[in-house]
Order: sequence, then structure tokens, then C-alpha cells
Amino acid sequence: MAPLSICINTQTPLVQFLDDPDRGRGLPHDGVDLTTLRDGVDYRYSPGGVTRMVYPLVRRLLEKGILDEAHWVALNPRAPATAHLGPMTLHHVALDPERMSGYAAVKEAIWGRVHEIDADDRNEQLFWSEAFAAYEYYNRSTAELIRRLDERHNFDTFYVHDFQQMPVGHMLGTLKPKVFRWHIPFDGAALPEEWRALFTTYLHAYDVLVVSAERYAVSLRALAPKAQVVRYYPYVDPADYTRPDPAAVAGVARRLGISGRADVALVVGRMDPIKGQDLAIRAFAELASDYPRLELVLVGNGSFSGSRAGLGLSKSARWRSHLEGLVRAADLSDRVRFTGHLPQSDLDALYERCRFTLLPSVREGFGLVAVESWLHGKPAIITNRAGISELVHDGENGLLFDPDDSASLPRAMRRLLDGRSGPLRRRLARNGLATSQECSVEAAERAERALLAPPAEA
Amino acid sequence: MVGLAVVLGWFRPYETAGATAVATVLVVLLVRELVGRLMRRSNPQMAVAARRLGSVVVALIGGTLTLQALGASPDILLLVIGVLGATILIALREPLGNYGAKFFSEIYTPFKVGDSIRVQGFAGKVIEINAMSTILLSDDEQLISVPNVAMVRDVVVNTSPQAWREITIPVAVASAVDLPTFESELRKSLTKLRTRLDPRFPPFLTTKARSPQSTDVLLTVMLRRPEDRDAITLEVNQRVTEVLQRVRATRA
Repeated sequence: MAPLSICINTQTPLVQFLDDPDRGRGLPHDGVDLTTLRDGVDYRYSPGGVTRMVYPLVRRLLEKGILDEAHWVALNPRAPATAHLGPMTLHHVALDPERMSGYAAVKEAIWGRVHEIDADDRNEQLFWSEAFAAYEYYNRSTAELIRRLDERHNFDTFYVHDFQQMPVGHMLGTLKPKVFRWHIPFDGAALPEEWRALFTTYLHAYDVLVVSAERYAVSLRALAPKAQVVRYYPYVDPADYTRPDPAAVAGVARRLGISGRADVALVVGRMDPIKGQDLAIRAFAELASDYPRLELVLVGNGSFSGSRAGLGLSKSARWRSHLEGLVRAADLSDRVRFTGHLPQSDLDALYERCRFTLLPSVREGFGLVAVESWLHGKPAIITNRAGISELVHDGENGLLFDPDDSASLPRAMRRLLDGRSGPLRRRLARNGLATSQECSVEAAERAERALLAPPAEA
Repeated sequence: MVGLAVVLGWFRPYETAGATAVATVLVVLLVRELVGRLMRRSNPQMAVAARRLGSVVVALIGGTLTLQALGASPDILLLVIGVLGATILIALREPLGNYGAKFFSEIYTPFKVGDSIRVQGFAGKVIEINAMSTILLSDDEQLISVPNVAMVRDVVVNTSPQAWREITIPVAVASAVDLPTFESELRKSLTKLRTRLDPRFPPFLTTKARSPQSTDVLLTVMLRRPEDRDAITLEVNQRVTEVLQRVRATRA
């Protein structure tokens, strides 16, 4: 098969540029080569699924010669127009602050409805608002940029990611293959009636729709009956997860104030109400007196949407403040740590250090952090609202809990804290590691190649 | 322009011809502007065609006068143009009729590719509208080619569900106009009509074709009440023209 040329489109950019006025320099110029800049100083990889999943796949396909070039178009208002990372070119779409604000409002409204956490009646008029004009402006600008790139590079396939970018396929106006990956949960019943027709039109513009769990596929097929809907589990590259040396683990634990004999329960996720960190804190508070060595570590900041370099939404800061209030009220400040965003090496050390991980989300498209936990050999307690829960057999490769049942999470935690929990923890870790292979980039490669190759060669 | 040519006829032929050519260009620009203003409430595609037709007519007259200034006989030139035109019309009567019918049916006939229609006793899904004919795919998978003239001469029934709601307006967006800005501004403008439009379906643009000169898009709006069709079509046409002019002026 001849090497392919693909165009990827995400809202979140692969990298965010760190502009430090104190260093007396601005953003790099257009066409910057990222290998000449310093990771963590001049730029950083965006946290979340884009970096964890899409990038390893593209890197792997490039290394294997399946792709000969990849262009990645994303929203990145504080970045040079283009940047190069090896054979990959990053293209950035900018928006003026007014349109950015409108775009963000619509995106949040759709996100809230899909996650069933915002049933604001005004949403029914959303498509007639000025904010929606800004949302469409962003997507049309993205589609036009991709079209211009296609004129130069003659792409084989367009791979569009996540709900924010849903109109792009329709706007591209091309007959070439277009694949759309819906990353967040999908329940068509949660959509207002006023939204369904436009969603259907936009979704039908794609050749294939990919979702992360079977339950989303069923719901999506009902909304877009003419679309080909497939379910592929999200994935990570296991090679990215190395076991840190004990000295590094001890150093990170010391720096974060984790006591030497602590039993650490680890929660990794952005600061967001749907991530359910409040459930973890309440469960921890219930168990704190019974397990005096138990400590809770919460890793994560806002997403690209909450960052200054991104959409600038402040919900992550508000949520963290709320969580800190819960901890203070329970008088547990000395046993709960908020670390914020951590570099991968520190995160690896925390996975190594913890006794188990929690995925307490009230809604979760999939839950790759559970896979990360398994790859580090740690048992995971997983919400039954996450897409990944359909891979979990309770008591075999993980423990499931119901976020609507307040006793459910503390009960699951007790099972991993009791003195005789060793065999259970080892079984969950061992079976979890085996399950993680279903979410590895190796397993995904064949499916993704079939999606990305032109139909005649697939 | 004729008077100008007579006055200039006192001068040498090359200067006269040059001045006539310049005057022709100016009149072409004037005609384009006047036709554009007069057709503000018409379909944007019709307005473009009318501007183009006006420009061609003026250019032909101006060209004839320019050649006359250089010594060519106007009678012979007009005769040649007339004979050529008549020959083309007679030779291509059928295809031109179909082409013309396509142009008008594109703008005024309420169906598009993807709709199910019935015409001249045939029924099927429209899978192609080309310069000569409209291709239908029948339920038993037969291809039916209906000449485009039938679409303007005969009764066409659009049997697609909710077809009455849909108004589609072809718009050529010149490459000088920023498409995202045009779409965004048009959306804001059409929001004023939202009480008359189907709340479930905001206006949206579908890209049909691209060329270095323009992007051809199809604007779709969905009606709330069938009796508003004519008024909404007129109003939307006017708003499209206004927004196109405004965005073009802003960019200039």
C-alpha cells in the first residue's frame, strides 16, 4: 500500500506554547521547528487524550511508513501559525477574543447537554444565537484551512476528532474519506429536540463515525441511521509507561508531602465537576478514621479549555476551590494533596507509589487513566459511568462502583484497604494489565489503518 | 457612447479607438453597479447572471465601435455577430434550452439532488442535475434521464418528506470574500427571521463547487409555515446580497 497523507483535526492542539515575558521573548515565529525548542520551557504537550492517544498513533504510523506525512490542524490562539515536529506539521487556527468567547459558550453548552449536567432551557435557542455564529465561524475557518492544505498536499483521509469539530466534515465539501471520532459520552436522548436535525446532518457528512463504547454506538446509530458507526476502544502506547526507579518515586513523594508509610489513593483527571473528585473526597472522609495511613492525591489542572493559552474558561479553578473547601470542612488538609498538572515522570512515580487508583467520574467518555493504572500494575476502582466499564468485570480486573450510590465507592475502597486485600489487589492488577492490551496502540493500529486507508485499499 | 465616437472621430483613429475602449470599460462598470442595485431583492445567482449579461452586451457594442474607429465597417461586424449568434442558437437549440432550463430550475424549482420527485409520469430520487438533464434513480434501480426543459415546462412534484419547508438558494461567494466571515454575518442576519423559520434547523451552507474565482454554496433555510415561502425567499435573497456586499466592502 502506498504511504498515506492524512490531515488530523482536533480542537486541542498537540502542544501549547509557553510565553514567558520575563525571558524577554515572545512566541516563536511561523514555521518553528519544535526540536529546537525546550519541552516544558518553550512549550508543553497538551494534557489529555490528544497527546496520549492520537499522537502515539500518528508517530507510529509515520515510523512504519504507513503515513508519509501528517498535518494536524487545531485551535491554538497563542501559537505560531505552523510548527514542525519531525515529519508532522502542526497548523494552528486563531480566533479573536470575541469569537473565542462565543465559540467556548456553544462548546460548553453542547458538552453540558451531552454530559447531562446542564439542562438550561435557553440551549434550545442556541443555534440562533450570535455565539453559534462564532462557533460556526471557527469550524468554517478550520475547514477552509484544511481545504487549502488539501490543495497542496492532496490528503488521502481527513480524521476529525471530537464534538467541537463536528461541522468540519460537512463544511469540507470533499468526497474524500472523512472519519469522525466522538470521544465523549453519547446519549442521543439527552439532546434537545431542537438540536437533533443539525447534529444528524453534520454526522451524516462523515464516512465513518467512531465511538469509545458500545452503548454510545447504539445511541449514535439511532440519531444518524445512515452513518457507519464503529466502536474502537481508545488506546495508549505501553512503551510510554516505564517503571520509575525507587529513588525517583521517593523523591516525588517527598516533594509532594506524601508520608513514607502512607497508603495512597490516586485520582488523575482534570479539575472538572464531571470528573467526580468530590465523590473521592467524600469517600475518603468516610474512611479516614478507619484507615489512618490513607492519603488522597488528586492530580490535574484544567484542560486546554481552562488554560490561559486555550479558551480561558475558569470552571477548573472554581471546581478546585470547591474541592479544597470540602477538604477543609472535613479537616483533612494534611492528608489530601492537590498537585495540579504534573510532568509524565512525576505521574509515573505517583502511579508506582499508590496503592490503587480511582476513576470517580460521573460521566466519562472512556477513562484512559484506568488503562494507565493497569500499565503501572495498580488496581483501579472505576465508575460504572465510564466507557471503559464495559471492559471491567467487577472483582476480576477492577472494581466498579455506582456514583449515584454514596456507599458504593467507600465500599469498593475498603476492599482494597483491608489487611487481607493483597490477593485481590494482585489479581486486579494482573488481570487489569492483561485487559490493557485491548487499549494499546498495537491493538488499535489495524483498526485505525482500515479507517485511514482509502476504501479501495482498505 | 456613439456621440463620443463621433466627437472623437475628428481625431486620429488610434486615439479614438483607445478612448472608446476606455469609455466601454467605464460603462460596463456602471452597468454592473446599476444592475446589481436594481436586483438586490432577486436571487444572488440571477443578479450575477444579469450583471454578466449586461456587461457582455455593453462590451459587444463598445467593441464594435472601437473596431469601427479603426476603420472596420460596423455593418459587416454586426452582420457577422448576428449570423454567428443565429447559427449557434439554431445548432444548439436543444442543449441551450436544457442548459437555460437547468439555470432557472436550479434557482426556482423546489428540488435538489437527494430529493424524491415525480415528473412526466416518472418518479425517483434525484441523483444528478447536469447541463442537459436531471437523472432520477427509480425504486427498481433504473436510471431515468429527464431533459431539463421538462422541469420548467411540466409539473414537478417533490415527494420528499417536509420538502415544503426547505428553501435552497445557490450563492456564488467570490474568492475576494472571506467565506467564514460571510457565513457568520449571514447567520447573524438571518437570525432576525427566526420566528418565521423552523427552530430545529438553523440556516446552513453546503459547499457545492470551488474555482479560483468563487466558491459555490447552497444556502438552506427551513420554513415554519408554508405560506411564508415567497416572502422568506425574497427576504433571504436580499439579505444574502447585502451581506455579500458588506463583507466584500469590509475586506476591501
